[in-house]
Amino acid sequence: MPLKWVLHWQPNAGSTVNSQILSEVSQCVESINGLKQGRWKATITLYKPHTREPSLAAEFPRDFLGVSVPEQPNKYYFIIRGQRIVLEADSSIQTIMEKLQSYKTRIALNFDGFQYQLGDFQLRVGKVSPTHSENLRGIVMEVEYLPISSMEKARQIMGEFLEIWQEAVSKRSLPGQFMHIEPNFAEYGLADHYTSQHTAVQYAIVMAQLIATVQAVQSVRN
Amino acid sequence: MECVVQGIIETQHVEALEILLQGLCGVLKERLRIHEICLKSGPNLGAVASEVRLLCDLEQPEPTWTVRHIGGAMRGAGAEQISVLVRTMVESKVSKNVLRLFYALGYKLDHELLRVGFAFHFQRGAQITVTVSSVNKMLKLHATDEAVPVTPGIQMVEVTAPASAENYTEVVSAVSSFCEYLAPLLHLSKPGISTGVVPTAAAAAASLMSDGGGTTL
Repeated sequence: MPLKWVLHWQPNAGSTVNSQILSEVSQCVESINGLKQGRWKATITLYKPHTREPSLAAEFPRDFLGVSVPEQPNKYYFIIRGQRIVLEADSSIQTIMEKLQSYKTRIALNFDGFQYQLGDFQLRVGKVSPTHSENLRGIVMEVEYLPISSMEKARQIMGEFLEIWQEAVSKRSLPGQFMHIEPNFAEYGLADHYTSQHTAVQYAIVMAQLIATVQAVQSVRN
Repeated sequence: MECVVQGIIETQHVEALEILLQGLCGVLKERLRIHEICLKSGPNLGAVASEVRLLCDLEQPEPTWTVRHIGGAMRGAGAEQISVLVRTMVESKVSKNVLRLFYALGYKLDHELLRVGFAFHFQRGAQITVTVSSVNKMLKLHATDEAVPVTPGIQMVEVTAPASAENYTEVVSAVSSFCEYLAPLLHLSKPGISTGVVPTAAAAAASLMSDGGGTTL
């Protein structure tokens, strides 16, 4: 499958994300001739262990995530980032986890927005908001390069595309920028050939960044 | 949901059962070699103690993994009266690192088994699967090559069919009526209610072996 980079919006110190930035980013994609195609959606859930004694929660992973990605609607991905585990499962695994009653949802986020075609690139811009709420918590962007599946072979063209993109965004003087953090996929046992498990790992990184950003804002306020 | 019945048969009559099943189902058997790992939640994890099974299909060129959760059996007067167990069952195919994930989540190995035998999958009023297998235990952790039978000379037969809350009565009757065809060789009942081997098995097997399953029992 085609490879992609998942980027997240990193607000400048002291600023926060807002819907005006999201709308400017969407306009920016259209200004470089991105053709709007339709909606997309991904979900990410942070689980917490269901322990009989709250003090015992430390025995269990605190970074256990479940991810659904737009390109594989019938699959679900589990990630424990601290232990570098990513698992691909049929989406029925969610029913199994509910029946086991060993972990419950701590935070559930939706990533949704519009998809754009731009030559051989496919862009997905989306807002991050808690399930059952419209509160904007972040902005994500997926950049997919359709002709190539090898992460290494596409590195140069992806880098070049991002330069053009950052230049287009910078003209709007928005209080922040898109960041791309490339995980060490080999640590997760993933090869150079791109799969949806790579996408799930990238979402886990984005989730960690969002949490870090929220915590940083809270610590400044306090 | 699924409907399920189980029974046992002496290994010496398995060939006759295979001939009978082949005649009844009209499909070819599939070889079965499943490594089953049963995990239980650690003492401090979960609102209730939980159990999950990881099945590794060793017959595939590249072994495939499935997570299976078996839930509670249907209860009530209606469920008591029928001869088939109806229970919730959910499966999910997963990538091969599933054991590592469940260990990381706080699940512990309870026991593991190796089932070796064959299966028939066919449509007969319901999507029925019949498995005939010897159940083996491992002397060393995960050593499927050195497995030994739990009950030498005895094999387990299981008949299952997927069902839903809407259609389970039809599925139950399809499974029950199919089981009647097997009655001379083995008796099938709800899991946990063992009825042993049937006295007519030897005679029925001899008859099947002599005419290749051509005669209706």
